[in-house]
Amino acid sequence: MRNLKRIVAGASALALAGTLGACSAGDGVPTLTWYINPDDGGQAEIAASCTEAADGAYRIETSLLPRDAASQREQLARRLAASDRSLDIMSLDPPFIPELAEPGFLAPVPDDLRNTDGVVQGAVQSASWNDELVTVPFWANTQLLWYRKSVAEAAGLDMTQPVTWDQIIQVAEEQDKKLGVQGALAESLTVWINALVASAGGKILEDPDAKPDEMQLGLDTDAGRAAADIIGRIGSSGLGGSGLPTADENASMNLFQGEEGSFMVNWPFVYPAMQGAAPEVVDDLGWAVYPRVDAGTPAAPPVGGINLGVGAYSAHTDLAWQAVACIVSPENQAQYFVTNGNPPSNAAAYDDPQVQEKFPMADTIKESLDLGAPRPQTPYYNEISIGLQRTWHPPNAVNPDTTPQDSTDFILAVLRGERLL
Amino acid sequence: MRAMTWPQRITWIVIIAVVLVWSLFPVFSIAMTSFKTPAGLFSGTLLPEEWTLDNYATILAPGGSAQDLFLPALRNSIGISLIATFIAVVLATLCAYAIARLDFPGKRIILTTALAVSVFPIVSIVTPLFNLWRVVGLYDTWLGLIIPYLSLTLPISIWTLAAFFRQIPWELEQAAQVDGATPFEAFRKTVVPLAAPGVFTTAIIAFFIAWNDFVYGISLTSTDAARPVPAALSFFTGASQFEEPTGAISAAAIVVTIPIVIVVVIFQRRIVSGLTQGAVKG
Amino acid sequence: MTTVENTPVKRKRRSDRARAEARLGWMLAGPAFGIMLLVTLYPIVQALWDSLFSLRLTAPDDREFIWFRNYQVILGDPAFWQSMGVTLFITVITVLLELIIGFGFALVMHRAIKKLRGFARTAILVPYGIITVVSAFAFFYAFDINSGGYVNNWLAWIPGFDENLNWFASQGTSLTVIILSEVWKTTPFISLLLLSGLAQVPGDLEEAAKVDGATAWEVLRRVILPNMKAAIMVAVLFRTLEAFRIFDNIFIMTAGANDTEALSLLAYNTSIGRLEIGLGSAISVLLFLSVLIIAGIFIKGFKVDLSAGRNG
Repeated sequence: MRNLKRIVAGASALALAGTLGACSAGDGVPTLTWYINPDDGGQAEIAASCTEAADGAYRIETSLLPRDAASQREQLARRLAASDRSLDIMSLDPPFIPELAEPGFLAPVPDDLRNTDGVVQGAVQSASWNDELVTVPFWANTQLLWYRKSVAEAAGLDMTQPVTWDQIIQVAEEQDKKLGVQGALAESLTVWINALVASAGGKILEDPDAKPDEMQLGLDTDAGRAAADIIGRIGSSGLGGSGLPTADENASMNLFQGEEGSFMVNWPFVYPAMQGAAPEVVDDLGWAVYPRVDAGTPAAPPVGGINLGVGAYSAHTDLAWQAVACIVSPENQAQYFVTNGNPPSNAAAYDDPQVQEKFPMADTIKESLDLGAPRPQTPYYNEISIGLQRTWHPPNAVNPDTTPQDSTDFILAVLRGERLL
Repeated sequence: MRAMTWPQRITWIVIIAVVLVWSLFPVFSIAMTSFKTPAGLFSGTLLPEEWTLDNYATILAPGGSAQDLFLPALRNSIGISLIATFIAVVLATLCAYAIARLDFPGKRIILTTALAVSVFPIVSIVTPLFNLWRVVGLYDTWLGLIIPYLSLTLPISIWTLAAFFRQIPWELEQAAQVDGATPFEAFRKTVVPLAAPGVFTTAIIAFFIAWNDFVYGISLTSTDAARPVPAALSFFTGASQFEEPTGAISAAAIVVTIPIVIVVVIFQRRIVSGLTQGAVKG
Repeated sequence: MTTVENTPVKRKRRSDRARAEARLGWMLAGPAFGIMLLVTLYPIVQALWDSLFSLRLTAPDDREFIWFRNYQVILGDPAFWQSMGVTLFITVITVLLELIIGFGFALVMHRAIKKLRGFARTAILVPYGIITVVSAFAFFYAFDINSGGYVNNWLAWIPGFDENLNWFASQGTSLTVIILSEVWKTTPFISLLLLSGLAQVPGDLEEAAKVDGATAWEVLRRVILPNMKAAIMVAVLFRTLEAFRIFDNIFIMTAGANDTEALSLLAYNTSIGRLEIGLGSAISVLLFLSVLIIAGIFIKGFKVDLSAGRNG
C-alpha cells in the first residue's frame, strides 16, 4: 500500500516537473506558431521548407486545429477575443473571416502582399472584407461535378455541354442510380444551398454590411425557391441514398464509388482518395463544372479553401507576414496541390507540369474558381449558416413553398436576438 | 454449503453470460472496428473481413500520421489525471478525517457544498473559467486542467472517504495510546492500515472521473500541450480534412480502455466495497 | 458548593477544546472546501453577471446591459422548451431503465455463488471505467450506416425493418442510441448504490418471510424493496441529477441534430459555438437552477435523507 503511494507520488512529481519545464527553444530564433486545419501533412512540410528558407530569421511550428470548420472558428475566435499573443499565423476558412476581421482581431495585410494579380477571383473575394484584403489567399477549393462515364453514356447525356440539376436528376431516376450530394446537418449543407441559390442568380444575404437587426435575406425569391425545389426533390425521391440526412463529403464519395454511383458534387480531394481506394472507378471517371440550375445561366460553384491571416496580438506580426509570403509562393502552392489535393489560389501554379500531370482536371478547377461565388460574408455568418442548416434539413422535408419563407423568418429573428439558435 | 442443483447452476451460468455480453459487447464492437481496413469498414459485419493493425500503427508507431496527435494526448491524460487524483485524495483525506473524527460547526455545510459541486453543470462554468485562465496564463496548461478536475473529483472523494473513516473504530487509537504509544505511533499503527484501503479505492474512483472528462478538455485547451485523450479524439484526421478516421479513433479508444479494464479486473472487490460504503450508509 | 465553582471552569475548558477542535477541523477541511468553492462559485457568479448583458465575444464593443431580457428571450423560445423536454425525457427514461437493470445487477452481485461473484462484479463494473466518449463512439460506429454500422444487418430479420434505416436521421431513433449508450455506461454506478442498500436488508426479515411461505416475488416486494427505500431514493436522486446534465453522448453522436439537443448542449452551443456569452450564460444559469429545483424536490418532497446515520 505504502509502496504504491510512493510510486504514485514519484510519478506525479516527475510529471509536475515536466509541466514546469519551459518549451522555448532558447536559441534566440523567434518561433512563429501556425495554426493549421488538419490535412495530409502538406502544411507541415511547407512550414519546414519555409523555416529553412528563412535562414534563421524565424522558425515556423504548426499547431493543429479541430477537424471541422465550425470548431476551428470557435477555437480561434475565443482566443483572439482574449487577445492571445501566441496566434501568429492562422489557416482560416473563408466564411468566418469577416467575423474575425470586423472587431480588429486580424493584423492588417502589408502592401507588398496586397497585390492580387494572378489570383483566382473566387479566392480574392473570399479573402476580403469591407472592400479590403484582410487575409492572403493560400489555396482555393471548389466543387466539381464528378460523374461515371458509363452512366452518362447510357443516358445519352452530352457531358461536353454544361448540364443542369434537372438533367442529372432525370438521368439518376431513369438509370436507377444515386446522386452523391451532402445533406448532413453541417456546413456542407450551407455550401450546397449557397451554390444553388447563387447559380439561380440570387444571393442568400442581400446586404452584408447591414447591422444584424436590419439584414435582408434573399431566400424568399425565385432563386431561393428553385434551390429548395432541387434539394426537396432529391431528398424526397431518395435519390441521395438513405444516408442523405447524415451524408458528409466522405459519405458522398463512398456512395459514388459503389454500384449505384452516377453523379457527385464534391471537392477535388476525392481524386487522390479514389485513386487509392477504388482505382476501377477512376477509369470510369469524368468531371465537369458544377451543374447549372437554369440552363442559360452559368453555374456558381462553391468556393472554399484556406486563407492565411496573422493575429493582431501576435508578438511578431512582421515576421509572420514574411512567413506568409513564403508559404503562398506559387511553387509551394503547386507542391501542396500535388501532394495534398488542395488546389492553388494562384493561377500561375496551374501551369506547373507536375500539377497538370497529377490532376488532369486542373483546368476545370481553375475555370470553376473563376466562376465561383463565396458564401455570405458577414460577421454573423455562423448564425446564418446554422439557421439555414436547421431549417433546410432533412432534405426530404424541404419545400419550395414554405422552406424559404420559414428559414428567412427564423434567421432574421435569431439575428435580432429574439430567438435562440 | 448447499449443493446447487443443475437447473440452478445452468440458470446462473446463463445469467452471468447475459451480464458478460451486455457489459463487454460495446468494447468488443469498437475493438473489432479498430481492426478493420478502411474499405472493410463498410462490410456491414461485426467482425472484420480483413484484419489489419494499420490503425494502431497510425496512432502509435513513429511516422504514423496521427501519432503526434495521440501520444501527447495520452501523456497529457495520464499526467493530469494522476496529479489531479493525487491532490484530490490528499485534500479529501484531510477533509474526511476532520468530518468523521472531529466535531466542528460547518460540517454539514462542507458536505452539502460537496454535493452541490458534484451536480454542477460543467457547461455553466466553462466560459468564465476560460476567460479567467486566459488572463492568469493557465489556458492550455496542465495546471489549468488540474484545478477544474479537482472540483470534479473532490466531492465524491470526500463523501467516500468520510464514509470509510466513520467505520474506523477510533477507540483502537486510544487503546494503543493507553498501551504506551505516542499519539503519532498510535495513529500510524492503528488508523493508517484501516484507512489505507479506503484511500486507495478513492484514488481509483477519482482517477476514473478525471480520466473521463470531456468538456473541460475541449474548452480549456488548444494544442497538444495539454489536450487530453477524449478531446484529442475529435481531432483525428484521415487522409484529408474530409475523411472520418473511424479506424484511428477506434484504435485510440481501445488503447485508452484496455488499461482501465485491467484496473477494474484487478481491483473490482475494492471498487465495489468503496462505492457501496461510500454512498449510502445505514 | 463545589459544583457551582466547578461548572464555569468546566464550561470554559469545554469551549476551549471545542474551539481548538473547530480550528483543527477547518484547517484540515479548509483547502478542499476552498478549492470546491473557487472553481464553482466564481464562474457561476460571473455567469450570473454576464447573463445580464447582451455580449458577443467577437463584438466586444457592442456590449450592453439589458437586465433580464436574455431570460425573457430564452423562456419564451420554443427551442428552449423543446430542449428542456428532450432533457427531461432522456432523464426519466434512463433513470427508469437503469433502476430496473441496475437492480437486476445488484441482485446478481449479491446472490451469485462465490465462484462466479468475481466474474459478475468485474463484468458489471467494466462500463464504469470506460470513458463516456469512447462509449459514444462505440455505439455510434455500430449503428451508423455511414460508418459501416452492422446493427441494421443484424436486425434485418425483423419483419418490417428497413435495412437502410439511418439511425441518426430522426429524433426517435437517435435518442434510442443515445439512451442506450448512456444506460450502458452509467448502470454500474447505480447498481452499486442499490447493492449497498440491498446488503443492508436484514437477512432475518427475509428468512422470516420465507418461513411464512412467501414466494420469491413477494419477498422482493414486501421485504426487500421497502427496506431499500432510502438507498433507492438516493440512487434515483444522484442519477437524475447526472442524467439531466447529459452532454458527451449527444455531442459525439448527433451534435444536437434532429431535436436531440439537451440543455447542456444548448448552453454549450450558444456560449461557445455562437460566442453569445450573454445568452449562453443565461441558459447556464437556468440549467443550474433546474438542477437545484430537482434536488430540492427530491430532498424536501420525497424526504430523501442523504445523511442517514451520518449524524456526528
